[in-house]
Amino acid sequence: MLLAGLLCYGGFTALCLSMDRHHAELLGRKASIAERRRFKWAGWLLLGMSLWAAVSVAGWAFGLVQWCAVLMLSVLLLVMLMPYRRRMALSLAALSLLASPIAAYAVL
Amino acid sequence: MKEGFRQAMAWLHTWAGLIFGWLLFAIFLTGTLAYFKDEISHWMQPEIPARSVPTETSLTLAQQYLEQRAANASRWIIDLPGAREPALSVRWQSAPAKPGERGQFTEKRLDPLSGAEVQGRDTQGGEFFYRFHFQLQMPYPWGRWLSTIAAMVMFVALISGIITHKKIFKDFFTFRPRKGQRSWLDGHNAVGVLVLPFHLMITYSSLVIFMTMVMPASILAAYKGDVQAFFSDVFPAANTAKVAGTPEPLLPLAPLLEKAREHWAGGSAGQVTVNNPGDTNASVVLTHNGTDRVVHEFGRAVTFSGVTGQLLAKTPEQSVPMAVAGSFYGLHMGRFADPVLRWLYFICGLASTAMIGTGLVIWLGKRQLKHAKSGVLPFELKLVEVLNIASMSGLVIAVAAFFWANRVLPVDMAERPQWEINSFFIAWGLSLLHAAWRRGRGAWVEQLALAALLFASVPLLNAVTTLHHLGNSLATGDWAMAGFDLACLGSGLFLGWAARKMQRAGQPEITGRNRQRSIPLEQEAH
Amino acid sequence: MTAKHSTLPVSYRLAVLSRVLAAVLGGYVLTALASVCLTLWVPMARADAAVTGMTGSFLVYLLAVLWCFGCRTAWRAWLGLIAPSLVLATAAGLMYWGGRA
Repeated sequence: MLLAGLLCYGGFTALCLSMDRHHAELLGRKASIAERRRFKWAGWLLLGMSLWAAVSVAGWAFGLVQWCAVLMLSVLLLVMLMPYRRRMALSLAALSLLASPIAAYAVL
Repeated sequence: MKEGFRQAMAWLHTWAGLIFGWLLFAIFLTGTLAYFKDEISHWMQPEIPARSVPTETSLTLAQQYLEQRAANASRWIIDLPGAREPALSVRWQSAPAKPGERGQFTEKRLDPLSGAEVQGRDTQGGEFFYRFHFQLQMPYPWGRWLSTIAAMVMFVALISGIITHKKIFKDFFTFRPRKGQRSWLDGHNAVGVLVLPFHLMITYSSLVIFMTMVMPASILAAYKGDVQAFFSDVFPAANTAKVAGTPEPLLPLAPLLEKAREHWAGGSAGQVTVNNPGDTNASVVLTHNGTDRVVHEFGRAVTFSGVTGQLLAKTPEQSVPMAVAGSFYGLHMGRFADPVLRWLYFICGLASTAMIGTGLVIWLGKRQLKHAKSGVLPFELKLVEVLNIASMSGLVIAVAAFFWANRVLPVDMAERPQWEINSFFIAWGLSLLHAAWRRGRGAWVEQLALAALLFASVPLLNAVTTLHHLGNSLATGDWAMAGFDLACLGSGLFLGWAARKMQRAGQPEITGRNRQRSIPLEQEAH
Repeated sequence: MTAKHSTLPVSYRLAVLSRVLAAVLGGYVLTALASVCLTLWVPMARADAAVTGMTGSFLVYLLAVLWCFGCRTAWRAWLGLIAPSLVLATAAGLMYWGGRA
């Protein structure tokens, strides 16, 4: 579940950064169309990877349930964090992505 | 036309949400607490130690107890201890129930180590919240009907809300605090949209759970009115032979556990039912404990002869429609959830509750703005305000009162469980009176502050009234006990913060700024 | 100057009441008929068919409620329920009395 959660959080942050309004909020400048596309792809890819991580560890039934749970709560955490602790929200995403390979190694 | 439809859905969402919002808030809050009902029960009966004992031992002890105390019963039911439910409970039925009627049972809880009757303070424990959230303390079957109707309204409110939310993708990550009414709406949308899979699952599954009660037409049509035949088909293990009248000793039950496990290829028995114990036609039904699977299997059981131990029946593989219904049931109950996932369930439940609560606040807030100049609210809005306060902060106070009653009421008091429940409703009723008398922001602040005080001091109360205080529970690794104390402390801190925010928001300079910022909301066609 | 709380015309209130009744009562009847129809027509064992019918029924109820409040007039709400109900009742009746007898 941890690995799936880390990837979800990172994925959602990427998707968030692919939106003009939030990109400006979080990083202080507007994103180019190419940048936005890259963030979008990265975001969806990370979410897909998190699903794969959840299911390969726990099977389809438990995996799907766990994935849905971390999916919902990671994005809720991101949205609640953003207006109050912009930098923390971003660093958490960076940390999650850095920690994912370690979590993956531990679990898979 | 599209605008007309969306507006109609907005109207539906607003009114359905208001009228059923107060009830749904109570259902969701108590239902959320019910995810930790075993842990709550453990805190509420600190005398009973949580011990893990092999299931075979528990079953043998239960059999010995029942052979002594209930030898002439027509049926025994033994609920085996599990990871979260360390108690061993036995029930027996003196005479078989008439078909279609519910049987009369005597229930006792046993210590799984000694087999003796448990000596703990009498309480309904966490079961109170579990039962309340679908029975609403109303006589059978009215409470279930009302809660299921509320669930249908919730489903309508969810879907109409989705239709109404024009910018559901654009505003997906949007949350703008410190902007008055705008923030409340952002918050409502955030907990609504981001946790939507859970809200939809929990709502639809609650309808499926009671579908045989509220939508029996299919059964009546398919079975030409013979409803019992339907239940016999779904729960074949419940069909038991009649008593033969010739006594035969009941074989030891414990070895049957392993036999059942073999048939199930994993998993274990959660419940053992002995029909006609001590008779030739004795049968032992071992019901599968569903905690190892997400999909609930209705009535999955193996039946053995109570005299020879021979396999009499085994429930067949689940069909697809049963598996679909079982998925809804299993997901709603969350029995398979380990501690981490259980906390996630709990947080999602709180999100649902918050979604309803913020909706109620927004409903009133929007209309209060219209009367801000005159300062006088018409009766209907005053009523909504009082109900908002009583159903939210009042309910939270009632929950705290329930826990306080558990520690404060004398252990050997008569009708103790009923008095703990009475404390819950008395506190709730008093909060309604207080809200009606005090009114407005003052009532909110006072009630939230009281709730904060009651919850935050639970660990202290625990330390003063029992030996199982935090220092002790953390040292012995009793996570359920410690977790409860810490969760109460955390809740108290949160409620205290909420009370402060309410108080600050009421101060003149800030209200003025909020009012200015709220006007753009009015201009938005919603 | 306090603005007078405008009172809604009686015809509006009656229309709302009509829609509510249509949604709650008419919706229930339509849902039950849909549930029965599905149960009788689906090629499954009795128990499975009944479960299928019941499990899916609430989606029908949802659509019925959304229709009753989303359509243009209160009359349309009722018509929109009665028409499909007749169709479903016929289909169910055919199966119940005709099909398996």
